Amino acid sequence: MKPKAIEVQNLHKHFGEIRAVDGVSFNIEQGEIFSLLGPNGAGKTTTISMLSCLLRPEEGDALVLGHSIRKDPMGVKSVLGVVPQEIALYEDLSARENLTFWGKMYGLRGPALKSRVDEVLEVIGLADRAKERIKKYSGGMKRRVNIGVALLHKPQIMYLDEPTAGIDPQSRRSILDSILALKNQGTTVLYTTHNMEEAQELSDHIAIMDYGKLIASGTNEELGQIVGEMDRITLTINAESQNVLEAWKAVKGVKQVTAEACPDHGRGEWAYILLVDDSNQVLPRLFETAADKDVRITSVDIQEPNLETVFLHLTGRALRD
Amino acid sequence: MKILDVAIKDMTRSFRSAFALIFMFVIPLLVPVLFYFMFGNIANNEQAFQLPVTKVIVVNLDQGSPTFQQAMANIPGVTQANSLGEIVANVLQSPDFANLLEVTTEADAAAARAAVDNQQAGVAIILPADFSAQFSALDEQAVIEFYQDPTLTIGPGVVKSILNQFMDGMSGAKIAVNVAVAHTGAANPAIIGQVISQYIASQPQGNPTAALLNIQSPVQTEPARSSILVIVGMVMGAMLIFYAYYTGVATAQGILQEDEQHTLPRLFTTPTPPPSILTGKFLGGLLTVAAQVIILLIAARLIFQVNWGSWQAVTLMSVCIILNAAAFGIFINSLLKSTKQGGAVFGGVLTLTTWVGAMPIFLGFAGNTNPTVNAISLIAPQGWIVRMLMEGANNAPLSQIVSSGLVSLAWTAVFFIIGVWRFQRRYI
Repeated sequence: MKPKAIEVQNLHKHFGEIRAVDGVSFNIEQGEIFSLLGPNGAGKTTTISMLSCLLRPEEGDALVLGHSIRKDPMGVKSVLGVVPQEIALYEDLSARENLTFWGKMYGLRGPALKSRVDEVLEVIGLADRAKERIKKYSGGMKRRVNIGVALLHKPQIMYLDEPTAGIDPQSRRSILDSILALKNQGTTVLYTTHNMEEAQELSDHIAIMDYGKLIASGTNEELGQIVGEMDRITLTINAESQNVLEAWKAVKGVKQVTAEACPDHGRGEWAYILLVDDSNQVLPRLFETAADKDVRITSVDIQEPNLETVFLHLTGRALRD
Repeated sequence: MKILDVAIKDMTRSFRSAFALIFMFVIPLLVPVLFYFMFGNIANNEQAFQLPVTKVIVVNLDQGSPTFQQAMANIPGVTQANSLGEIVANVLQSPDFANLLEVTTEADAAAARAAVDNQQAGVAIILPADFSAQFSALDEQAVIEFYQDPTLTIGPGVVKSILNQFMDGMSGAKIAVNVAVAHTGAANPAIIGQVISQYIASQPQGNPTAALLNIQSPVQTEPARSSILVIVGMVMGAMLIFYAYYTGVATAQGILQEDEQHTLPRLFTTPTPPPSILTGKFLGGLLTVAAQVIILLIAARLIFQVNWGSWQAVTLMSVCIILNAAAFGIFINSLLKSTKQGGAVFGGVLTLTTWVGAMPIFLGFAGNTNPTVNAISLIAPQGWIVRMLMEGANNAPLSQIVSSGLVSLAWTAVFFIIGVWRFQRRYI
């Protein structure tokens, strides 16, 4: 039996009154992609910061390929490649200069460094623009170099902290393909995201975090079983209504209802998210109830069970909150 | 090795920044150039200044006197002359005064006065016919007519000064003769000649005409320097110090900048010990300041011929300014939470400390060397560097410069220890 790539045991970290990470434990098998899914502020980045020895946990420990983050941080760092959430590059240096410098920081030297820089430039598709300074690159190109830095020393484990934040769909696709390629090469990946689709597409294992706690963990299928066969219906109405909220909660087949202002709230619209057993049966009753309360439904959206549904079921809030 | 990699990366970034290059090299050299153009004209005029040559017409009507001639015959080693008027004319035509006086002789006093009236000459000196006789007579006064252009001041003043000094010497000799005659009771020409001879011998130069005008420059061990170059040297010194500290502070701010730009946390995720990363960053700042100081010292020497003193003094001063500026930068930045605080703190602290430290330079412009102000300037770390700079330029003993250097190094140690301690607490 292969040893675990990462074993996290009861990590705690707080900043002032805020418990950023509150007793988090999980294991990651070698060669799998493990996603930490949660909204902003859930504690994903703090967890990754502790696992990359940037922050010292107040309690608990983690073993990264057998190296303790408390007792052997240099051992941990030597097997890791970390891709931070932000672009952490020197804008006034070229891509090649950046990669060369970071390669040296990972202990590479001489011809080995040069050939590895050339390889990584090919992998990230920037060999022909390697001499240009980073500040001239687009956001997507910078993201690719940001990932390339972590690939230089061929790490056994990669941490990627929301690497697709704020980039165009084409670059996003390229990055997701790169991560799948890493998995195929046997690299263990710890991936954080608040994007449910990314987590579903990439992950062998998913852990859902909220308010510093791990609220669910498992494969995509295992997490789906938490909500069973429930559908997710989003109804948009022309005004906030406590009456209709209470009325819908009382409708047979409705398990859960939450309300939130729509992004274009200037028009006064509110979205009501409902978890229901069978949308075909429940939907007509919802329309009738709305009519009784003199509320006009302006749009309807029905989704099959997914991680968003799981998060909603577990927290009572939408993941994008 | 990684320490050096971090330092080289930081230096590369510094020298690629046009903004940094302007502040490191262009402005420190540009300000002295501006001073040169502002004050260079004045100084050049001052350098070219010479006393105007005064046209002098000598009318020697002196017919001499037997007593004078006998007395002269008894003075050994003195050029013989028939009359005192002839001696005066010879003195004025001496080659020593050739760059001050253009002397011509004229036989007619009226024509000489007319030449002055017509501004063809500045001064007319008319030696009367009985000039020697009156001088030789024990109780008479010899009078010279001095006729000058009233619009001129300096030239006639110089001529009058020469004449006064000559005649004072002659009067002294005459007094000595009077005393001798009073003792012997007879105006014996041989005795008179002997007394005058002894009087001349008792004068400092042994010759009364030799000391009439003795223009001396201060004792110098090297060629005289233009005053504008002295001013430029002082300005350059002040610029060198201010901008070396600016660079020290700006490069140390790179630690905060890297933190905010997320590259510092990323560096801490690599298998590089955090103390090595911070040491590399400190070294980068140190080397950048070193490069700046060395380039500015050489450029100032080549462009403005600034005299920095002996090579030992320059080396010591350079080492102290490099170390102190870099350590000062680390210390100041360790007190900040973010680069947003940097602008106000750097501007205020750097301006204040440099202003206090460089007070001796500013006062030097006004020719003031107030010891109290010099003492106050040593409150700022820059004050000790300024002190070393001035000691070096004034060729002070090396031991004195070493003393100032040791104090500066003590400041450096304090800044470095506090700064590193605070950064380590934050990042390690």
